[in-house]
Amino acid sequence: MADDAASQEDVLKSIIGQPTGKSKVIVERAPVEHFADALLSTSPIYHNPEAARQAGFANIPAPPTWPFAMEFSGKFAEMQPTDAPPGNPLFTAMGPLMAKGGLILHGEQEFLYHRPVQVGDVLIGEGSITDAYQKESKGRTMTFICSETNWRDETTGEPVVTARFNLIHRS
Amino acid sequence: MGEKKLSFEDVQVGDEAPVITHTLTRTDLVKYAGASGDFNPMHHDEVAAQAAGQPSVFGHGMFSMGLLGTALTDFVGVGNITRYKVRFARQTWPDEVLSSKIVVTGKREEDGRKLVDLTVTLSNGDGEDKLVGEATAALP
Repeated sequence: MADDAASQEDVLKSIIGQPTGKSKVIVERAPVEHFADALLSTSPIYHNPEAARQAGFANIPAPPTWPFAMEFSGKFAEMQPTDAPPGNPLFTAMGPLMAKGGLILHGEQEFLYHRPVQVGDVLIGEGSITDAYQKESKGRTMTFICSETNWRDETTGEPVVTARFNLIHRS
Repeated sequence: MGEKKLSFEDVQVGDEAPVITHTLTRTDLVKYAGASGDFNPMHHDEVAAQAAGQPSVFGHGMFSMGLLGTALTDFVGVGNITRYKVRFARQTWPDEVLSSKIVVTGKREEDGRKLVDLTVTLSNGDGEDKLVGEATAALP
C-alpha cells in the first residue's frame, strides 16, 4: 500500500510541466448562440451581428465560459495540428485512480481574457499540467491536478484567452 | 464595449449588480449538455445518477459558472471581463432557486486601463453557496 502511494506520488511529480495537447478550433455562430441561450442570456449581442457591431465587436462574441466548451465544439478532426503531443497525462494520472473508484470533481476554473473570443475566430490552444499533488482530508485521499491552456489567434498569433482547470479525485 | 454602458466613474466599491434568480430545471441541464457537449450522464440521466448513489441528476458546475457569467456580463457589459475565476463549492439540484450576488470590491487603474474587481457568488434559497469566486472588468 505504501509502495502504491509512493508510486502514485512519482506519477504526479512526473506529469508536472507535461503538455496536455494542442488543438485548433473554429468559433461558429450557431453553437455560440445555443450556448448563450443555454446560459439564459437575453442579450441581443449573442444573436444579432448588427447588435454586436453596435456594441463595438467585429463579430458576435462568445459568452465568458465558452472557451471551456471549445474543448468539445469546432475542433474538426481534419484540421488538427499534426505536431500535437500524443495522449494526455491528465488521463494517465486519473485513470488508475478512477479504476479504484472514487469521484472526479471539478474544483476550480479560471479564465484570463486578453481579448473577447468572437465568431469567425480560428484559435490554437496549447495546454500543460501546472501542478499535481495529493493531500489527505477527512480520511480520504484528494488528488489535485491543475492544467492551463493558452489559446491564441491562428492568424495574428496574439493571445486570446488562458483557461485554468483544476480537477480533483476524491478516493 | 458592452451593451450596457457602465462606466468606471459610475461604479463605487460596495455596489451590487442586479440579481439573477433562476429555478433550476432538468431541461436547463439537457439544454446545457447539448450546447456545451458535456454529456456526463450524472447531469441528464436520472436512472444512471441514482444508480451512482446520487438523489437525482445534478447541475454541471460549468452551467453554474455560465449562469453567473450571464449576471456578470449583464452588469459590466459583454466583452469587458478580463478575469473570471470560481471555486465549485457544492452541487446544484433541480428545483433549487439559484441567485447571483456580485459585489464591487475595488477600483484601480493599471497600464492605462480602468479596472473594477468584483466578488461573485451563486447560492440557493437556503443561502448555501454553490460557487464562489472573483472577477475583474475593464470599464470605459
